Amino acid sequence: MSNMKTIVGFTFKNKVKTKSFIVTTIILILLVTAGINSFYVMSLFNKDEGGPAKAEVVAMVNDTEGVAPALQAYYKKQSDSKLSIQVNDGSGDPATDEAKLKQDLAAKKIAGYLVASEGKAGEFPKFIYKSSNIRVTGDSTTKSLETALGSVKTDFIVADSLTDAQKKQLSEPITMSLEQVAVSEGNAGTNQTEEQKIAANILVYVMLFLFFMTAYMTGNMIAAEVTAEKSSRIMEILITSVSPLSQMFGKVMGMFLVGLTQIAVFVAAVAVNVNLPHNVAVLKEAHIDMSQIDPMLLIYGLVFYILGYFLFAVLFAAVGSMVSRTEDLGQAIMPITLLSLASFYISMFSLATPNTMLVKVASFIPFTSPTSMILRLGLGEVAYWEVWLSIVLLLVAIFIFGWLSAKIYRTGVLMYGKRPSWKELRKAMKAYKI
Amino acid sequence: MNALQVEQVVKVYGDKRAVNQINLEVGRGEIYGLLGANGAGKTTTMRMVLGLIYPDEGNIRYNGKGYSKELNRLMGYLPEERGLYPKIKVSEQLVYLAQLRGMSKADADRSLKYWLDRFNVPEYYDKKIEELSKGNQQKMQFIAAVIHKPQIIIMDEAFSGLDPVNVELLKETVKEVRDEGASILFSTHRMEHVEELCQNITILHKSNTVLQGNLKEIKSQFPRESVMLGTDGEVTGLQQIAGVTKVDRLETGYKIGISDEQAAQEILRTAMQQRTVNRFEVVEPTLNQIFIKAVGERHE
Repeated sequence: MSNMKTIVGFTFKNKVKTKSFIVTTIILILLVTAGINSFYVMSLFNKDEGGPAKAEVVAMVNDTEGVAPALQAYYKKQSDSKLSIQVNDGSGDPATDEAKLKQDLAAKKIAGYLVASEGKAGEFPKFIYKSSNIRVTGDSTTKSLETALGSVKTDFIVADSLTDAQKKQLSEPITMSLEQVAVSEGNAGTNQTEEQKIAANILVYVMLFLFFMTAYMTGNMIAAEVTAEKSSRIMEILITSVSPLSQMFGKVMGMFLVGLTQIAVFVAAVAVNVNLPHNVAVLKEAHIDMSQIDPMLLIYGLVFYILGYFLFAVLFAAVGSMVSRTEDLGQAIMPITLLSLASFYISMFSLATPNTMLVKVASFIPFTSPTSMILRLGLGEVAYWEVWLSIVLLLVAIFIFGWLSAKIYRTGVLMYGKRPSWKELRKAMKAYKI
Repeated sequence: MNALQVEQVVKVYGDKRAVNQINLEVGRGEIYGLLGANGAGKTTTMRMVLGLIYPDEGNIRYNGKGYSKELNRLMGYLPEERGLYPKIKVSEQLVYLAQLRGMSKADADRSLKYWLDRFNVPEYYDKKIEELSKGNQQKMQFIAAVIHKPQIIIMDEAFSGLDPVNVELLKETVKEVRDEGASILFSTHRMEHVEELCQNITILHKSNTVLQGNLKEIKSQFPRESVMLGTDGEVTGLQQIAGVTKVDRLETGYKIGISDEQAAQEILRTAMQQRTVNRFEVVEPTLNQIFIKAVGERHE
């Protein structure tokens, strides 16, 4: 047991000291910082657009129904709007008016102009907004104009038949927030408000990403280290010092700590950034509230992370032990790489549809279950018995693959030369009496 | 009771017998020579002694007992193909390896410092392996095998790749370790090292033992087949003496091959009649010759 501790410590210490680990971790911190602060930075840009220096003027062509003065009045009431309306005394000929406005547009006197269609008298006209800078998805100017025109239209239609309070109610947008309801009893997924839903979404996304990154990266490191030990032949000394089993699991544990360290750094970076004063308000505006995270989801996430990690890690160790040269490693770990990619993408692509049959099936298959179950727990609907069944299946798989990997490892580390086929491996196992 | 006993050990890989009924015993404070051409079964034998693979037949006993995990602490191993962590400091990895063999960190550190001083390289303590020359890496490898004061040491090609000065240095330390009571199973291709260090040897050839026993006794069993003769001038008629197979003229005399030890006396008589004899020796066969003979005969 003390040997195991020594190996864990040695593996951890030497990995954490490597340049590649330090650089990866710093990049991770920078990415997290940039990602969280991007909300704030974006809000800064939005404010710039709204500055008084850039006031936009919109003019009107062919205003037969007197919409322009009404719009102007609307914007005068909205003290915070950057838009203002310029009322032109039309020349009577829309073509001449438009030509003149085009010149103004070129001279940047106006930001754009509205052209009203010639509708029937007494009907609210249709409009075309023309500008040199149109975005298909609509920008703040067009959205504001739409709202303003809607208000003017209401006034136009109801005229004086409604009180101001009624008009105000009419113009207010409809409020509808979303809330998920658990349908059946005994479910792990609880009723979620919108904030909780957003928080769960982000958390699931982050957990999937972290799972993939750390499990895959540390798994790769395990395989690379085992192969390096083999190719440098220090393996011969190691296997005569400690049993291959404690060697393998020591390495897996050590790397597990490396992965946890990385996750801890990530979480710390998130926590610090989220709590920076300038970020708090911006994130609240975006309905991102990390205190809404369900702690059970975190705990289950950790459980599935740990189990998933060990399942992949023992396989990586076994493959690493079969390869004699580092150059051959990439090819050898390809099947496990594909497996981990599948596990990652099944869940990533199902973020919006967490209750499909694919996800349900995947959440019971040991290699894909860690990610799929996190997804179902966070966003979908899942019964407790399903979660526990999945955990038990994972444990069984870890036991079986751990045992198999240990056997492969014990044989593999003694075999040099070309990568052994399964048949050769079986033969060697028999010969070594493993 | 000897420290290491290998009794009737057989190892089969598939349909190939890698080791066929080997017996050997290494006593306390003894260096035992295990010789053989490449592929003769040396490494397999050593791996079985180290407990890495199990014999199909026969027994290996350590101080009279069978293999157990605790033995790892008593054994040291210098593998043929050298390897340490290239990017990790000498102190860190050697202390680590000693800890894996059950030594405490403080003891391992002390032992490492002793050995670095012994090799006159205390400054390597904080160096990475990749910064050292090949010869010095070998020394570190040697330290890795003995740092935990093992009772049984397996040395596969202990001196390969070293310059003569370092070979001498390492040879001295191997003798020191032996004199402290360690049992050393020693394999090499360099017969002169075996002659200098080992009392008993086993020569393996194609999985079988072809020659085994006390080195002196083995040598005495092999006929003396050459005579060194030093004279102050030319000697004629040597070729005609019965039993002389070959005459080589050297700078200071002759090297004469004989098939019969009686011929040696006749050579001396002939030489003395003609010249002053400065040197006359019926030379013992070297282990090199014995090895080639033992292995070569079975090649045919």
